[in-house]
Amino acid sequence: MSMPSWAPKPWVLFAFAGALVLLALVPLVNSDAYWHNLFTLTFLSITAALAWNWLGGLLGQVSFGHAAMVGVGGFVAARLQVSSHVPMLVAWGVGGVIAGLYALVWGHPTLRLRGPYFSIATIGVGEATRLICTYWSWLTGGSSGMSIPVHPALKFQLYWYGLGLAALALIASFALRRSPLGLSLLAIKSDVDAAGDVGVSSTRLQDLVLFLSGMTMGICGGFYGSFFSFIEPGDLFGFERSISYVLMGVIGGIGTIAGPALGAIVFIVLQQSLIAHYSQLYLGLYGLFLLLVILFEPLGLVGLALRVMKKPIEEQP
Amino acid sequence: MIDLLFSAVLLAGLYAMMAYGLGIIYGVLRIVNLGHGGMIMVGAYAAFWMHEQFGLDPYLAIVPIAIASFFLGVGMYKLLVKRLPRGAAGGVQSLLLLFAVWLILRNTAYLLFTGNDQTLRTSYSTNSFHVATAYVSWNRLAVFGVAIVVLVGLHLLLTRTYLGKAIRAVAQNPSSCTLVGIPVERVYSVTFGLGTGLAAAAGVLGATLFSFNPGYGSSELLKSFVVVVLGGLGSVPGTALAALILAFVEVFSIKIMPSYLTAAVGFVLLVLVLVLRPGGLFGQRVLG
Repeated sequence: MSMPSWAPKPWVLFAFAGALVLLALVPLVNSDAYWHNLFTLTFLSITAALAWNWLGGLLGQVSFGHAAMVGVGGFVAARLQVSSHVPMLVAWGVGGVIAGLYALVWGHPTLRLRGPYFSIATIGVGEATRLICTYWSWLTGGSSGMSIPVHPALKFQLYWYGLGLAALALIASFALRRSPLGLSLLAIKSDVDAAGDVGVSSTRLQDLVLFLSGMTMGICGGFYGSFFSFIEPGDLFGFERSISYVLMGVIGGIGTIAGPALGAIVFIVLQQSLIAHYSQLYLGLYGLFLLLVILFEPLGLVGLALRVMKKPIEEQP
Repeated sequence: MIDLLFSAVLLAGLYAMMAYGLGIIYGVLRIVNLGHGGMIMVGAYAAFWMHEQFGLDPYLAIVPIAIASFFLGVGMYKLLVKRLPRGAAGGVQSLLLLFAVWLILRNTAYLLFTGNDQTLRTSYSTNSFHVATAYVSWNRLAVFGVAIVVLVGLHLLLTRTYLGKAIRAVAQNPSSCTLVGIPVERVYSVTFGLGTGLAAAAGVLGATLFSFNPGYGSSELLKSFVVVVLGGLGSVPGTALAALILAFVEVFSIKIMPSYLTAAVGFVLLVLVLVLRPGGLFGQRVLG
């Protein structure tokens, strides 16, 4: 099999594969439940943060309501497993596709317009989806939520599923940025009109990225349900969840390939060490982090690393 | 029926005022102020606090709150917004920055007043009078009156004064303004202050009508945006008409839809407007 010309350098591939193997071996060596769960959740956050970044970073369309798709995917998957005994992976997949389609329903009309219309719309979408789904108790169990029976052995294996998801999301991020398709996305982000002039079909590509992003969020929702074996709309659709994806993307480096993955790790660490102790302050702390990154290092950790290595910003990793 | 008609018209005044604060900033600085909802919420809590603490009537509190918020807005511009690149490049950054401001405002309100729903009750909150078969609340009428006065004042400011002309000139072409000696930076900061002050004043009026919590303002932000998109940028008559349309659709949708769906009405209207008339009802006019 020959690699495409935009494939990463061999040492990057080896490092990636090596990291995957090492991480896959961790549960066999150390079976401490706290770390096991924390790692699994981190993989999930990495996946979601990367998927958020496809829209927010690669297309420049920031979403403040991505929890809506996590919720839709999560509850569809949960309902399928509980009421129709659909196998877990199939349920995740169906939930993901429906979440992706849902993203298209509201995102397609607003993405076609230049300017911040999409971002503003996401603020309304997140809230409206939460309210409507909380009311639809046939789907979500209402505000008391629903339980999903998961076998303990399967729950332990979710670690590897999560690792696989995060790896796939990272590969997809790389492809979406470096492939010819990625160049088209960059052109759309820079100037929709000029992109159209050179034959880039912005409507179709934007819809594709939106669908992919929504679908991945939906799959994360399904995963989340199986991992916690209990979900409720207030949490899964929550404003806090939507902002956390924004923050992961921005901390890591909005628009970079692997930055949001890094941002997700930092976010989880911050949450465990800081935010969990000051639950009254979490919104303000989120705001403060966001403010500081935007003002002083708009490319986040990746920007910081580039500055330390004295590389020009154009060579984003 | 007449009941609904009245309440829609009276609500439209508040919507127009809310939207104008967002629209004037967008028209001049080309920035969507995501802190707008936060400032509406701050206005509501400031009026609540003054009423609880000093027994100050919310209608009297509007003036000090609007003035204080004006300076808060000027400060926000000079401290934060000014540092960002303007136009398409700064679009995402300014959205995120002002969103961060909103989060901080929300958290501050939560710390000061808890997350519980609050209401601002005055001795006349529930008084009403008859018109034909309809009951009209004095309070709603007063909100409408204040909103009209403010909007007319703004219209005069923008069309009759030097400052207003400078604001409109900067909205049209900032680089030629520097050539003819208009202090563009000062116009930007004054405009940001005006928009912020309007948001807080609208929040005071909103607090006399609805209950609120630290999350108050997010659907108001969305409604403001609907009105701005529908009415075109900064046109006072356009804004008024758009606010009327939004208020009518909302009030009548409560009649025909289950209440949980009305949360989505503003959003559906936004999408419809964007798809059908992205330039607003009157095409894209900038301030005047």
